[in-house]
Amino acid sequence: MTKAGRSMGRRHRSRHFLIGLGRGAAGAMIFGIPMLMTMELWHLGFYIGRSRLLLLLLVNIPLLVLLAHRIGFEQTFTWREAFRDTTIAYAIAIVISAVVLFLLGNITAEMPFSEIIGKIAMQAVPASIGALLGRSQLGAHRDGDEEEDDKAEKKGDHDIVPNEMSTSYGRELFLMGVGALFLSLNVAPTEEIILISYKMTPLHALALILLSIAIMHGFVYAVAFKGTHELSEETPWWHALFRFTLPGYMVAVLISIYVLWTFQRLDDAALTQVLMSVIVLSFPGAIGAAAARLIL
Amino acid sequence: MTITAKNRHTEAHEPHWVEWVTGIVSALLVFLMIAWIAKEAWMEDGAPPEFSIEITGRGAAADGYRVEFDIANRATTTAAAVVVRGEIVDGGEVAEDAEVTFDYVPAESKSSGALLFSEDPGVREVRIRTIGYIDP
Repeated sequence: MTKAGRSMGRRHRSRHFLIGLGRGAAGAMIFGIPMLMTMELWHLGFYIGRSRLLLLLLVNIPLLVLLAHRIGFEQTFTWREAFRDTTIAYAIAIVISAVVLFLLGNITAEMPFSEIIGKIAMQAVPASIGALLGRSQLGAHRDGDEEEDDKAEKKGDHDIVPNEMSTSYGRELFLMGVGALFLSLNVAPTEEIILISYKMTPLHALALILLSIAIMHGFVYAVAFKGTHELSEETPWWHALFRFTLPGYMVAVLISIYVLWTFQRLDDAALTQVLMSVIVLSFPGAIGAAAARLIL
Repeated sequence: MTITAKNRHTEAHEPHWVEWVTGIVSALLVFLMIAWIAKEAWMEDGAPPEFSIEITGRGAAADGYRVEFDIANRATTTAAAVVVRGEIVDGGEVAEDAEVTFDYVPAESKSSGALLFSEDPGVREVRIRTIGYIDP
């Protein structure tokens, strides 16, 4: 290769990388803005228990690595690349959160340092998921089908034909967890979740559980969105209900408990009250979980 | 197990046993949750909130004197904007009072807070009671 050709190749690569960063930033914005503009999340930044915040930040890392490995910034294949993408996404999220919070007048130089860090750290978690998804979902498919085929060929040993990819059961549940976590993080910090659970009677809660499960099942199996999962003709419909929808709802419930606990919404509440808030939060969580199965 | 081919997903007809175990455990948990809530629906009596207050600690604060307390709501109804007033009673006369509002005191739950007085009550009686609430 000539000197000029080499430098052009390098320029092409760095351009590619910059485009990737831009997509990550766009994703962080799209997914992060609703939370960056939520009052309760600013407050959480300084009153959330530091040990719970630390746990959330740490839990976010393996979650991003797994997600990166699954969907990848740039068709990630190795764990090392997944780890690299995670680092970049997290960094983009921190920068975007800091810049937006500063622009909105939410962090100023007079604030104590721990408050500033707390606010940014809090917001960086959902924004980092956004940054990862942004890079993969906002146009990574432009490379076309060739690469898709390559990927399918390189993938696992249990493939039946090169063009088919088996998603393992665990991965399916993991994706549902990410979807549920994402929507839960969006709404859990707001006071409305708690208020709704106080306004609801147990009968409302019962109806909400059934509706959540029905929506989850309907989203994935009945309403024909792109990416909709199908059952082969001889499989009875309740197979999918037991194997996917109910476990998916349980994943949404567990994520809701974790998120509410992190945001200190469960402290000192009686079991029934805890359960009511969890049911309320699992409603958006279930929708998020179902959507993740379709989109990711 | 799910097979993805050309962006269509088809669930495998003969799933791994792990899928069935997870499914059955999940179904059981969902059933338990529904049963618990149904029990609550059955037991619900609509009785108004019942508060009880217990002083848990006292001591000097930066700008006065702090009396910490727990407020419990025994009823199955949640109360919002619960106003709690504390009084230092000196020989039948109210020497000083302080007030605090709780956003929520959930049903069958406990919340905690503190009242700040400007002076140390010492041996004088501190009386704390709720003076009102709204339905959420």
